[in-house]
Amino acid sequence: MAQLATVLEDQRQTDETALITGSEAIAVACKLADVDVITAYPIRPYDTVMQYVSKLVSNGELDCEYIVAEGEHSQFEIVKHACAAGARVFCGSSGVGWMYAMEALTVTPALRVPMVAMVGNRALDDPGAFGVEHNDALTVRDLGWQLVWVDTAQEALDTALIAYRVSEDRRIFLPCAISCDGAFLTHSQALVQIPSQKKVNEFLPRYNRADLLLHPDNPITVAPQGNEDWVMEIRRQNYAAMERVSDVLREAYDHFERIFGRSYGNPFFEEFETDDADIVLMGMGTLSTPVKVAIRKMRKEGKKVGFVRMRWFRPFAAAELAECLSRFSAVGVVDRDYSFGSPYMSGVLATEVRSALYSAPGKKPPVVGFIAGLGGREVTVPDVERITEGVYNAAQGRPQPLTQWIGLRE
Amino acid sequence: MATYVQIDPTQKLEPFKAVKKIPLEEYFTSGHRTCQGCESALVMKMMAKAAGPRTIVLGSTGCMYVANTTYYSTSWVVPWMHTQLGSSGSAALGTAAALKALMRKGKMKKEPINVIAFCGDGGGADMGVGAISATLTHPDYNCLILLYDNESYANTDIQLSGSTPWGANTTFSTPGKMKRIMHRRWKKNMAGMMAAGHPECRYVATICMSYGLAGMNSIRKALTIGGPTFIHSLDPCPKGWDYDPYQSHEMGELAVNTGVWPLYEVEDGVLKLTGRTQQIAAGKIKRQPVRDYLLKQGRFAHFTNDDIDYFQSKVDAMWEKWLVPGVIPFRREVEEDHPPA
Amino acid sequence: MGRLFAIEIIYRGIYQKTLASRISRAIVLAAHQEGKPGISFGRYGDSPERNGIPAKNFAIVGTDQETLEQGMAKYEPKEVDITIAVDDTLFKGVESWAWYGLQPVNKLLKPGGTLIVTSRETPEALIKMAHRKETPYQLAIVKGTPSFSGLWVYKDDHTDVRILGAIAKLLPELFSLKSVQKAIVNEWKDPVKAESAARSCERISTTEVMPNQGNPEIPYKFEFPKWHEMGEGIAIPSIPAGRAVEDPVSHATGGFRPDRNPTFKKFTTRTMRPVVNFDTCIKCTLCWLQCPDSCFDVTPEGLYDANMQACCGCGVCEAVCPVKDCVTMVNESEFGDNASQWEDWKKDKAAYKIWLEDKIKTRSERSHGFRYRGQYEEQIPEMLRIAREG
Repeated sequence: MAQLATVLEDQRQTDETALITGSEAIAVACKLADVDVITAYPIRPYDTVMQYVSKLVSNGELDCEYIVAEGEHSQFEIVKHACAAGARVFCGSSGVGWMYAMEALTVTPALRVPMVAMVGNRALDDPGAFGVEHNDALTVRDLGWQLVWVDTAQEALDTALIAYRVSEDRRIFLPCAISCDGAFLTHSQALVQIPSQKKVNEFLPRYNRADLLLHPDNPITVAPQGNEDWVMEIRRQNYAAMERVSDVLREAYDHFERIFGRSYGNPFFEEFETDDADIVLMGMGTLSTPVKVAIRKMRKEGKKVGFVRMRWFRPFAAAELAECLSRFSAVGVVDRDYSFGSPYMSGVLATEVRSALYSAPGKKPPVVGFIAGLGGREVTVPDVERITEGVYNAAQGRPQPLTQWIGLRE
Repeated sequence: MATYVQIDPTQKLEPFKAVKKIPLEEYFTSGHRTCQGCESALVMKMMAKAAGPRTIVLGSTGCMYVANTTYYSTSWVVPWMHTQLGSSGSAALGTAAALKALMRKGKMKKEPINVIAFCGDGGGADMGVGAISATLTHPDYNCLILLYDNESYANTDIQLSGSTPWGANTTFSTPGKMKRIMHRRWKKNMAGMMAAGHPECRYVATICMSYGLAGMNSIRKALTIGGPTFIHSLDPCPKGWDYDPYQSHEMGELAVNTGVWPLYEVEDGVLKLTGRTQQIAAGKIKRQPVRDYLLKQGRFAHFTNDDIDYFQSKVDAMWEKWLVPGVIPFRREVEEDHPPA
Repeated sequence: MGRLFAIEIIYRGIYQKTLASRISRAIVLAAHQEGKPGISFGRYGDSPERNGIPAKNFAIVGTDQETLEQGMAKYEPKEVDITIAVDDTLFKGVESWAWYGLQPVNKLLKPGGTLIVTSRETPEALIKMAHRKETPYQLAIVKGTPSFSGLWVYKDDHTDVRILGAIAKLLPELFSLKSVQKAIVNEWKDPVKAESAARSCERISTTEVMPNQGNPEIPYKFEFPKWHEMGEGIAIPSIPAGRAVEDPVSHATGGFRPDRNPTFKKFTTRTMRPVVNFDTCIKCTLCWLQCPDSCFDVTPEGLYDANMQACCGCGVCEAVCPVKDCVTMVNESEFGDNASQWEDWKKDKAAYKIWLEDKIKTRSERSHGFRYRGQYEEQIPEMLRIAREG
């Protein structure tokens, strides 16, 4: 008996492997993080996380207030207030659901509420569609949210733990949205290493609202109405907090590697086959799968193509990225989003990459934008090959449109 | 029988026995930037006094946010936090849920803490009605939602809301040469709707702080009974209603005595008319004509005698035709309605 | 560069909103009669206005468009040719609900500029109330009871046109009486109003106010913190709980004085204040309980002392008090300080009684807007009589 107890205890202390979806991986992270208040509201594809949370609660594996709200606006407002009162919270949405919560999303950063939310990326209505587009999550990019795209279930789980640690750091106190591509990540199962509770406890301190706790023992007035005498100073504080995120993120990834033994290298973006690359492609989320497959194929054909996958979109590691990109003769940015009327009619990522390059020292390779995979359309290996061809043309200075639609019936 | 509702203990707030027994301490104090004679500020003061020091207050956008708490400045002694216009229900629920989870999980010292979220009529009867309704269906959380009703979007410069009385002048319903009555909707029956629509909500009441002791005791009961509760307060507004602010107290009395504003409480499903309203219903005192109320307010200065008569007929119907007079507008038979042209 | 004219109108929020905007509009329209372009606007930060809390309107006029553009300001101009105070108790200062610190009524006046006021007080009484100014200025009184009405019903007692007529006399470079009259007739189609303007123009006179005259008090100021000195999360400390009150004579303590918001005082919100007869008070609690501003300190013996940093002068205490003349609202211009009445009473009850009777006797009737239908019609003839007879 004593031996069995030891085996069971060992099992509790060591990582286990489970076959779960990206959504479920985030629900498991909530359990490991001992989240206190969670609010749910149905919308595909993110709601799969809440379906799993509901099971964890009913099975007694997760002890939290689990509230099904009457709409996304309330869903986010409830956790915003719970977090201000000292609770670790989780929430999420997709597509127009995320937009319905927009008012709550807008006010959260200035309140310095470290809410962690999942966005199951979904095309915005109309037309209603369930597939992935990144425009939903990107709407908070200017507001003080930390914004990260993950591409595997494992990364989803790990990033959720990192997100709690960084967001709830008193130096930061900003919300974080973890973006997971609808279907490709939210609904596909993969083998995920689930870390032991002991390791998680070592990595993730308890949330301490400290001086901002709304409690009779700490009588404060939070968020009075400001005017032109105050608003700039308040915005400047959020600017400072966002400025501090990069260092705190690096600390967290280092610590994560030491405790869990998994390394993500550069926290801000992943480089794939870039060491000797002539040109690189860029993108976010699960786009990485077809791109990596295509690159392996093209490498066999002698094309030195690399891939840079942006992980953290906010904060945006502009200087590091510009330095990285200066090594290549051209860059092709694949956007799973649109920004109609933007400079060169490019997607959001392409515009940001150009902007990062413009003010950086060093070589500025030409940047071509590609719009692909909208509404969840598959991005195929031939699509990636076509994109690559365009980027080679840019490297050779051949004139071509700065934004091209890929995989479109035309 | 199994108990499905898991509720934490509340503070046991006994009713104040008399005005002279009301504690001296203030938890919402002076220096707010409201209008002279602001009855909603009075409601805040009495609400905080009734709730006492172990209280968290959430305030949705409106006068009681902008004027009371102008950045770097506050009138609150107890902790207070802003919430969005339509979020009083969610703010109450989220705060109550946090306290419950943190105390259960040993992350916060166990003690009953009052959670009150307030909203104006714009935030409560219009934008936030969905969230308030949702909160009133959550039996596990102790919180009070207080709707302070000054009958317009008073902070944004007096625009009509779903709670503005028929015909009133507002900046969105100014009488003109062709149309005298621009606002043709009857005031929403919020407390009745909340009581009828949320059978598990244990306490719904209407109050008017011209009757301060009764109003405060209603708040104390709402905080003691357990679960989510709702109170609707009618607050005369010297700015939007357009009257000399010294009349604020009298205006509240007139609203009750004319029968325009019935005072009642629904406790565990049992309806009880209270105060002067009870006396009116019992025939002990007569309802005053609404004319006495309307003619003292500039917002009705454009009313013709026909308009006043129509207003009176609607109030009469509320008392004589409604199945539950003053509370539930169901009737036994269809009746015609003829508003003035 | 041509000449730029700036005029500010300081008024009581809501009560005089329509009045101030009529004056400001008409200034621009009268100047337009002479080919001078102008703009009229309210101080955006004062909106939404609060009943009684001071607010401002501005009229900016240039001799040509280019000059006007130089002078356009979003919130308020740096200096003005004329300040108009449509209520004389504003002489105690201006503290908008939306800003910090107390601004003297004459602060923006250029050296030698003119302060026009509607009042029944003497120049001496008014000068005493206003803060001292480093440079001399002119004081001009348009005689009459300050005109108050509410949001929806305007009391057309000719205050607007009488002020316009006075401007034509005091700043003839801006516009002539003839232009004012044209603007009045165009805007309000009322020749009687044009006559009122002419009479006012004819009668107005000025008194020079020297730097050594006026209230020597240094007005309350506020230092804005830098961004990194402000707390994060838009959080500020709540107000501390209050404490017991000390009797100035016996030094016994008891009762309760709430702590008060340190950054906003109601000194300039008030046009009246309650005076309390502590000898007849029956301690019914109603004034204290029903005061929306929690302005009453509870004394050790259970009396209620209206604290002047918190009283906004609404008059609810007087209305709810069941004892005759126990709480009486008295015109704010009758008072030179904000001292505690209860302390004065404790120190010398006989002297307090004389003081109190004097205050009650001199109270002047003021109405803060609409009381009943027909009230303005009753008040207007008296104002028109003053306009005619001076």
